Amino acid sequence: MTGRLEVALAVQVPGFELDVAWSAGGGVAVLFGPSGAGKTLTLQCLAGLVRPRAGRIVVDGRVFFDSQTGVNVAAQARRIGYVFQGYALFPHLTVADNVGFGLRGRPRAERARRVAATLDKLGLGDLGRRYPRDLSGGQRQRVALGRALAIEPALLLLDEPLSALDAPLRRALRDELRALLSEVGTAAVVVTHDFTEAYRLADRIVVYDAGRVVQAAPRAELLWQPASESVARIMGIPNVLRGTVVKATPDRIQLRWRGQVLEAVNSPSRSYLPPPEAPIAFFIRPEYVRLIRKDRVVADVQHHMNLMRGQVVADEDFGTTYTLRIRLDDPGPPAQGDWDIEVEVPHLVYEILEIERDRHWEFSIHRGSIHVLPA
Amino acid sequence: MSSETTSALVLSMQVAVLATLLNAIVGVPLAYVLARRRFRGRSLVDLLTTLPLVLPPTVTGYYLIVLLGRRGWLGAPIYQVTGWSVAFTWYAAVVAATIMALPLLVRTAKAAFESVDRDLERAAYTLGRSELRTAVEVTLPLARNGILAGLVLAFARALGEFGATLMLAGNIPGKTATVPLAIYTAVQTGEDARALMLVGLLTALSCVVIVTANRLGARAT
Repeated sequence: MTGRLEVALAVQVPGFELDVAWSAGGGVAVLFGPSGAGKTLTLQCLAGLVRPRAGRIVVDGRVFFDSQTGVNVAAQARRIGYVFQGYALFPHLTVADNVGFGLRGRPRAERARRVAATLDKLGLGDLGRRYPRDLSGGQRQRVALGRALAIEPALLLLDEPLSALDAPLRRALRDELRALLSEVGTAAVVVTHDFTEAYRLADRIVVYDAGRVVQAAPRAELLWQPASESVARIMGIPNVLRGTVVKATPDRIQLRWRGQVLEAVNSPSRSYLPPPEAPIAFFIRPEYVRLIRKDRVVADVQHHMNLMRGQVVADEDFGTTYTLRIRLDDPGPPAQGDWDIEVEVPHLVYEILEIERDRHWEFSIHRGSIHVLPA
Repeated sequence: MSSETTSALVLSMQVAVLATLLNAIVGVPLAYVLARRRFRGRSLVDLLTTLPLVLPPTVTGYYLIVLLGRRGWLGAPIYQVTGWSVAFTWYAAVVAATIMALPLLVRTAKAAFESVDRDLERAAYTLGRSELRTAVEVTLPLARNGILAGLVLAFARALGEFGATLMLAGNIPGKTATVPLAIYTAVQTGEDARALMLVGLLTALSCVVIVTANRLGARAT
């Protein structure tokens, strides 16, 4: 795959320090993390708009910046397409002139042809003579994308490409953008603070926090194996909890939490073997917690591992699912404020089990759904 | 209309137009640099261009004499070489009006430049434009209304300039006596009718200027 990207940056701006190193092998790399983590600053360095104090930027084998050899290619010469947050369309130019802005110096005919081809590809064919103010949010996004693509960039940078849009449109355009990026095939770096967006768009996700990279991994790996408790919290994973180790083997970890002994799967590949009594962080996926039906035979411990009992203290309707907040019957302060664990159930289950009326439940969690977070 | 009244009017227009032109040539780039560049001495330049707005015009005029008068820092060498001095010529009126109007233009234009989204300029850079081309093709057109409003204000200020002009150019009828100076003379010599007419003219002109500036300002936002 083309578009291999190597990034190492040390940047200092008043009140903030960025120090990151990551790479991506073409495709779409998403920089994900909270606001103010340094994601946009990274894009600005890639584009040559901000000069790092030290570091190295290599795109597809071309060195754009290297503090050791003193290389610093000007932004004008990098041929990097940048879609700005809020799009930054030139309000005094028509759509066609916006898209053709980067084609100055080429013969008029070629320029017109390229603009027309770009507008066509993005479904903007008949909007060429309009001004940005006459366009909808989705159309503006496409014009910004077209303007960046028209220069046939070596790399495409997109800063929160969907944040300026309304929620329903966002979802539609997210999938449209994903299809477009894979169709164009240009390597891209996308910045977002929305994990769903990151997951939908990315081949590889680079997690930023406070000017550092805390994890860089293929998206599936990130989802199932966040590298640490802080990554899990940045991703917004519910039920990030803390217990103590009872016993750890290469493929199982027993841990104590809220008076229970829970069994979780360990992954032999990462050889994480904390000693007994060591503190340990883990998370439980709320959609993998099983409520046990009371009309069935008595729960047997063999069949239901990690069996617990508790009270629903709150429930929230999310339209298609309910989130139940359950406090364990065991004494002691609950782990998450008023409750211990969040459980997600589909509407149908909520109604069949009459959870609205019946608040006391037994539930179990398969060991494969308890994910240990290495310290 | 007496010939002195006519000449005052013509001179005032001449001075104000030239001063506005000079403001556009010097003040607009200055405002851009102050808005967009960080350099040593930036706040000093900012201070110096703003000072005439705050100082009494006679003080600014005094500095201009110190700088450009026949024995001034710049004026003396010029006088020695050419035998000519700008003081007490109508050019002096232009210089005084230019300096007095500059803060109004620079401050307005600077605010207009600052209101242009920096991402638009950054976008132009990534699309291959140099800073100068970007300033001409993106920043300037987008700041246009603010700059025009600034120029209208500068024109008005130049038209009404009195103190600094009196110091540097004097009040020579038919030569350096602009309308404000002519009004002063008329009142001093008891020519009430003449004073009233000039006052009326200047007031009307100022009203036109304010309305124009407001319209431009409203369109800028």
